Amino acid sequence: MRRTGPGPHILAYALAALVMVYASYLLPRMLPGDFVSAMYSSSHVTLSAAQEQELRSYYTGRDGFVWYLKDLVTFEWGYSYAFLSPISRLILQALPWTLLLMGSAHILSMVAGFFAGVEAAWRRGSTTEKSGVGLMTVLQGIPEIGTGVILLMVFAFYLGWFPAAGGETAYAEFSGLERATDILKHLALPFTTLFLAYLPGNFLLTRAGMAMILKKQYLETARAKGLPPMRVRYAHAARNALLPMVTRFGLRIAFMVTGALIIETIYSYPGLGTLLFNAISQRDLPLVQGIVLFSSLAILLINLALESAYGFLDPRVRYAS
Amino acid sequence: MSRVSVRGVVKKMYIMLLMPAILVVLFSPCPAAQLEEIRIADSRGDWGYPNPFQHYPRGPGYVRMSWVFDTLIWKDKNGYIPALAEAWSYDSDRMSFFFELNPGARWHDGRPLTAEDVAFTIEYFQKHPYGWVSLDDISHSEVKGPHEIEIFLSRAYSPFISDVGGTMPILPRHIWQSVDDPRSYNEPEAYIGSGPYRFMDFNKAQGTYLYEAFEDYYQGKPMANRLIYVRSGQPMISLTSRQVDLSNIQPDMAEPLRKQGLVVIRDERGWNKKLMINHKKEPFTDVRFRQALAQAIGQQEIIDRSHRGFGTPASYGLLTIDHEMYNPDTPSYSFDTNKARELIRSLGFQEDNNSFFHKDGQPLKVELLSSTITVGGQNVPDRDGEVIRKQLENAGIHVELVSLEQATTDSKVRNWDFDLAISGHGGISGDPRILNEMISSEYGAGSVNSARFDVIPELNTLLKEQMMEMDQDRRKELVYRIQEVYALELPAISLYYPDSYSAYNPDKGIEWFYTRGGISKGIPIPQNKMSLIR
Repeated sequence: MRRTGPGPHILAYALAALVMVYASYLLPRMLPGDFVSAMYSSSHVTLSAAQEQELRSYYTGRDGFVWYLKDLVTFEWGYSYAFLSPISRLILQALPWTLLLMGSAHILSMVAGFFAGVEAAWRRGSTTEKSGVGLMTVLQGIPEIGTGVILLMVFAFYLGWFPAAGGETAYAEFSGLERATDILKHLALPFTTLFLAYLPGNFLLTRAGMAMILKKQYLETARAKGLPPMRVRYAHAARNALLPMVTRFGLRIAFMVTGALIIETIYSYPGLGTLLFNAISQRDLPLVQGIVLFSSLAILLINLALESAYGFLDPRVRYAS
Repeated sequence: MSRVSVRGVVKKMYIMLLMPAILVVLFSPCPAAQLEEIRIADSRGDWGYPNPFQHYPRGPGYVRMSWVFDTLIWKDKNGYIPALAEAWSYDSDRMSFFFELNPGARWHDGRPLTAEDVAFTIEYFQKHPYGWVSLDDISHSEVKGPHEIEIFLSRAYSPFISDVGGTMPILPRHIWQSVDDPRSYNEPEAYIGSGPYRFMDFNKAQGTYLYEAFEDYYQGKPMANRLIYVRSGQPMISLTSRQVDLSNIQPDMAEPLRKQGLVVIRDERGWNKKLMINHKKEPFTDVRFRQALAQAIGQQEIIDRSHRGFGTPASYGLLTIDHEMYNPDTPSYSFDTNKARELIRSLGFQEDNNSFFHKDGQPLKVELLSSTITVGGQNVPDRDGEVIRKQLENAGIHVELVSLEQATTDSKVRNWDFDLAISGHGGISGDPRILNEMISSEYGAGSVNSARFDVIPELNTLLKEQMMEMDQDRRKELVYRIQEVYALELPAISLYYPDSYSAYNPDKGIEWFYTRGGISKGIPIPQNKMSLIR
């Protein structure tokens, strides 16, 4: 079989990136209203027609996709109307919080769900497996918002163990270790909410995949060769159940910006979701465009990385392409 | 005869002298200890940078700016008090206001604040308008001395004290005189004011603000060294866990929080939920139809069903019932579906078998844009739209309820692309200028809450006159009449005043309060800087 080079592949991604750049330019502009009307319409300030016109012309940037593309290539992502800060700086301020919350929840729920799913499938028919499946099915049915509110009420309101809002104690004069502890305490509840939301899907997916794989002949062969059970379970069986998990991880990461919006809102967690939500409600066009563009390009890159990971995880994929 | 030793006499004298001193110390009022910090929670967090050109044009944005920039006069619990101006007077013959400034006032960079700064501020705001105040009726100002200034009016302007005196932040001339584009000026000097706190930081991602006490503040060093605003989606929990010291709360949480030792305060009724009406479109052009709407909508029922009873039916005359110029004889409309139906019938509509109205083969159908906006620009889920839809349907009007995101709703209302829309605003307990802004397109063209209703000549004249009437009693008569005409014409319908509460931690020794008439132009937020001034 003739193997194709990376050229056409990269070309397809470049084309997709161009489409996304255009979408990030066009879609935010289709929102009804503009920054001036969103900011002043329902405010304490009543503008005269002349003042309104003057503000509108002040907050209208250069129009046209060509200019947009040029600014993009020269890394001139512009300034936020509301924050008076460079877009890139705002994204970089919010990104670490999103990565910390979403990244940790995704990775740990994937790892935990994978191992729990493998072990449950291996013990098929046992009480452990049945109760595990039952528990995960129930958890799967509880929406994030429900878990979030329950955790908030129990652990922040009644027990007072964890803070109710924010990513850290604002302007506290902590040392390095104290600050890290403070950040982890603030992370605990939103992380647990997302972990509990993502875990069941990972568990059920792995268990279902493993159930199919465990019937395969080659596992019988592996057992007959006298390989240790752990090696049969993980090196021979579980590895083949990993691909759907990686696909799921990629799909979930794609929703990294918007996926945590509810949780970020409940816990006032400072992430990209909150930043985007506020930017849209204020019609802060440069900021909306910047976040949409950043997140869509990030998705493309992650997809590209995952495709490489497929080949690494499963040689069949590598040779099939 | 006993021997009296020198040492014993000295000891007695020592005790006699020391005891009064000890007693004086024990029973004299204890000076309040300097607090390390005060934390205030807010569900949104981000309200712009705290200077006049960059704070968001809503109450919380102004309040964040007011810690840094002082005005000529201010309000405490009881009304206007001196701030940068120690005294002021109005000379009707010269049509001018005379202000004597506090000679101890300093800018945060240590320079003295003088009358030149006030004169400069007026000129600068005339060149670069600050939307919160109108300087259209100021002709010029004259500096009479280092701390004396006379401001001349080109024509009488009754909201002057509220606007220019109590709302206009004074800018340092030595900084702003070289700034041509104040909206993009974001250097550290842009935050040098004369207020009780220096601005230190605004974290945009976290929605937090840090201020530090200004030691040389002319009214004394503020009681807390640091003032911190934090974003909290659950301020009640942050309050009970003592992570913050002050926050607004939901009305039904007042009692549980009191039991937890927090002090709960309630605002006057300075914010109203309002039904905007497209009075340029049939059938809303006819005043009888608008009155039928008022008759069909039960204000108390909305409060009971949508807000668990926490609210007060609003006056149909717009100004709050707590306002000193509120007209108690303002026309009102009882909740009477039959009367509403009668009025609609009088417009030529007929009822079908399902008791819904139609005319010329077309059903009477309206679109209602809902909104959950409430006090302080926050959003709290409610069912106002559903309750009003039910009420109007009971009166025979088909209603299509549409829930849109706030900016989209605002945009549709601004462009007259709507039938009915639920909206709301504050300012109704402040200066009656709010009547002009919320009624006339001449004053309120840029506000989504303004009815922009100019078709009644009497109303137009009354609105103009009240702006120029410097005699308070005569102005009150005009304002009374405006409320009557407005309530009869109903270009918009005020629905109710939601109960507005805040709670604070009394252990810090700070007494927070809602300002009568609201902070500056009528901001219903209990973060008056006087709470932190001794």
